[in-house]
Amino acid sequence: MNKTTRREFIKKSGFTMLTVGLSQQAFFRSMNMAASGALTQAAALSANDRIFVVVQLEGGNDGLNTVVPRGGSLRSLYEQYRKPTLRIPVADLLPINNDAANNQLGFHPQWTHIKSLYDQRKVGVIQSVGYPNPNYSHFRSMDIWHTANPVGYDTTGWLGDTLDLAEPSNTNPLIAAAIGGSLPLSFVARETTVPAIGNIATYRFQTDTRYPADAQNRINAFIALNQEGAPLRVLVEQIRRTNLDAFASQETLQAGRARYDDGTYPQPPPTYNQANPLARAMQQAAQIIAGNLGTKILHVMLGGFDTHEGQATANKPLEGFHALLLGWVSEAIHTFLQDMKRMGKDDKVLLMTWSEFGRKAPENGNYGTDHGAAAPLFVIGNSVKGGVFGEHPSLRKSDLYPDTDAMKHTIDFRQVYATILEKWLAVDSAEVLGRRFELIPFL
Amino acid sequence: MPLDTKDKVAHLLRRAGFAARPEEIEQGVAKGLPALVDDLVNFEKFPDNLGPLPNAPAQNGIPPNTSYLDLTTQQYFSVYGSLLNDMQRLWLNAMITTTRPLQEKMVLFWHGLFATSGADLDLRHMYLQNEHFRGNFDPNTGRLGRLAATHPFPVGNFRNILENLSKDIAMLFYLDNFLNVKLNADVGSNENYARELLELFSLGVNDPITGEPNYTEVDVRQASRALTGWTVLFERDDRLIRQFFFNSSAHDFGPYRVLNRSFSGDGRQLFDIIVNHRNPGQQQSACGRFLGYRLFKFFGYDDPEPEVINDLADTFDGVHGGDRYNIRAMLRRIFTPGNPTSEAFYSDKAFKAHIKSPTEYIVSTFRLLRPTGLANSQLVTQVVLGLRTFSGMIQMGQYLFFPPNVAGWKEGLDWINTSFNLARCNFANTMATLVQPAQGGIDVHSLLQANGLLTNGQLAPAERVVDFFTTLLLQAPVSAQTRQTLINYMNAPGGSTDMINMKVRGLLHLIMTMPEFQLS
Repeated sequence: MNKTTRREFIKKSGFTMLTVGLSQQAFFRSMNMAASGALTQAAALSANDRIFVVVQLEGGNDGLNTVVPRGGSLRSLYEQYRKPTLRIPVADLLPINNDAANNQLGFHPQWTHIKSLYDQRKVGVIQSVGYPNPNYSHFRSMDIWHTANPVGYDTTGWLGDTLDLAEPSNTNPLIAAAIGGSLPLSFVARETTVPAIGNIATYRFQTDTRYPADAQNRINAFIALNQEGAPLRVLVEQIRRTNLDAFASQETLQAGRARYDDGTYPQPPPTYNQANPLARAMQQAAQIIAGNLGTKILHVMLGGFDTHEGQATANKPLEGFHALLLGWVSEAIHTFLQDMKRMGKDDKVLLMTWSEFGRKAPENGNYGTDHGAAAPLFVIGNSVKGGVFGEHPSLRKSDLYPDTDAMKHTIDFRQVYATILEKWLAVDSAEVLGRRFELIPFL
Repeated sequence: MPLDTKDKVAHLLRRAGFAARPEEIEQGVAKGLPALVDDLVNFEKFPDNLGPLPNAPAQNGIPPNTSYLDLTTQQYFSVYGSLLNDMQRLWLNAMITTTRPLQEKMVLFWHGLFATSGADLDLRHMYLQNEHFRGNFDPNTGRLGRLAATHPFPVGNFRNILENLSKDIAMLFYLDNFLNVKLNADVGSNENYARELLELFSLGVNDPITGEPNYTEVDVRQASRALTGWTVLFERDDRLIRQFFFNSSAHDFGPYRVLNRSFSGDGRQLFDIIVNHRNPGQQQSACGRFLGYRLFKFFGYDDPEPEVINDLADTFDGVHGGDRYNIRAMLRRIFTPGNPTSEAFYSDKAFKAHIKSPTEYIVSTFRLLRPTGLANSQLVTQVVLGLRTFSGMIQMGQYLFFPPNVAGWKEGLDWINTSFNLARCNFANTMATLVQPAQGGIDVHSLLQANGLLTNGQLAPAERVVDFFTTLLLQAPVSAQTRQTLINYMNAPGGSTDMINMKVRGLLHLIMTMPEFQLS
């Protein structure tokens, strides 16, 4: 289908997404967009061929057992909270640099690949990331990270806002994509529809294969049914627009995906471990990137980090579910970056991990940990200035939140967003985030 | 524009049930709205036609006629796929064929609100929970049986629903409360369930009207103490665990303080405190508002007005007379004409403004087009679930017994994205073009014949075929332009003379992809 027609139709139909409940912040954002010559911004994002890959660790990753105190008073406090059940022994940690307060630190022993990337100075460890007045609900806190708004309720996400701002006349149905069936709130936008792609192989519009000569008739009718008419209800228009975007994106995607292994790039691609769900998702992301489809932002996720019990196997702190998950993260990112190198795109890719919160300093009584607050996040790529940024959160009892024993943040997650917006995506961060934040020098 | 009676009847049938067939609309109009509401809400007056869970297949050393519930763990794993298939088919069939649509709608509601997932549990606990939500299982005794009048699920006393939920075997495992034991005067050993009980199951993080926080972190930790020792009865041998157990030696008898009330004892008082809790300056209970919001969102529309939430909360609080905390009274309030809540329910804003969940999408398709194969055809089950076609419920985003997380499915506009929409389009194609009725396909020939659209092998003109199927599936006329698009499709040469299998089935495919068919 002609994409210009599709977008023109959407514009002509006067349709914009539900404005009901649009927050004041989002309202001001859109007013700012109108006033500030968004076209200049668009040129910036379109002109570079950088790709931003967001890796969501869903459930609340235990940051304290991801970047672990390796010595000094911080280690003593760590050992008070983490009993032998969940305590990672010093000898097993993979040492990294000391932080700004000279705390000795190490990665979880499962992070061998990430450690090797770290040694090549391709990993930024951003310590103590969070936001004021932490919310301990998975769902509220995820929404806060998705919308970059810790106080209000927005209906659009920070990546969706970025696309609306930087690509106001976008006609590319694959300007961004979420790998997985659901569309994360990060990608919800007022203007841009971002596809959710559960499985590239089946992401195609099917017709009855027994009547191939009728296929085009059905497709024509399908498009006409979704293009037609005076706008009805907002909901009808939303479904129509999504139907048309689904059709356009599957056409583009199927055309581009073939390049992954048709000889365009050196063969064979690296082997992604199919037992690792994050590796499977990142493989699909790599297949989209291979198509050179102008995709700027990709979102993948791995669930299972809500480790209230069974975080470690009884009395085997190096085994158990958290170790498995961290091993998957390390392996998936490693394979993905190998693949990017194969395609000659490793300089063009930046990864950022995030999780809605860390976990409490003390473990609970069931080989697990309950919901906490601040935790480290990681930025990875050839362009990253590797190292440790900020300080490990204080573990002194008096420095924890009194009702929850959760650690306090020192870096606002929006500082990380702002840095990526400014230095990687070349977008004015204040217009996306509503104000300026101090940048972190990892790019 | 106010709805006419026929529209109201169709609207009620779609929302309180799963679909409105032409003869059901006709009967409803003849009966009148109040009588129809009574039939739906007092569903016990109709016989329960729910089938039993089939026995396990006699394989891997399992004797014939053995219930899945009696298998050893090893046997259970050896027939896992077969059990999952039987459970999903049983539940879907219940929704498709039920004579008690509102009962089944409420089972789906509780499954979404009190979400646990088969991904982390023994599937048989999910089956027991499904029957628990239907009112057919008692975790105190571990017995399955038909609805007793005192059973709180699915439409009874919400305080008791919360107590039953806290004893539900799947829930005890899913949110770890079976491990929650006395720790210290601050917190139990595991706060997972206590947190979700307050956050997701009874109050919500924030009040849906004022946005004020409903509880504090101290409330979560104190509530976790009150629920210590609420666990399962472990079996000595390898039999399936199916009973709640109050382990007094692991229980912290308090006193604890939750929502500004101090109490002690076995923990049950926690539920009284939750349902009675009022935020300062509020007339309605916080729990009543939470449920008013959730129920109206499920049956009405996404953003209920404060007046509607408060009116339903008043019903919950007993202000409108009758028992307090009663779910059935709230449902009656939503559906019975003549009050502010039902005015909203029968308003133009609500009409055709609910995005069908994948379950509603599929069940409505089956109730309207009546393919019969789901009960006996593996093929159609695979099509519906998406196991073979990659376009069924899994790909539409709703796999029964497997909600994505403890918050259940996000509904409304979250059902709409490119991936989910393609899955609906492709399910429509597969389902519409599945030819053999014996395999679960739609019997298009019989449908056409029974409605005078196929005589002596001659198909009626495209206009009549289009009008018949759009009316059957959408219960309303389509725009002139849409009608013409569909007629043009019927008349466009498609390379075959088999008009029924090519064009009529193609028409079904197209109607099922239309935005109007995604709405109820």
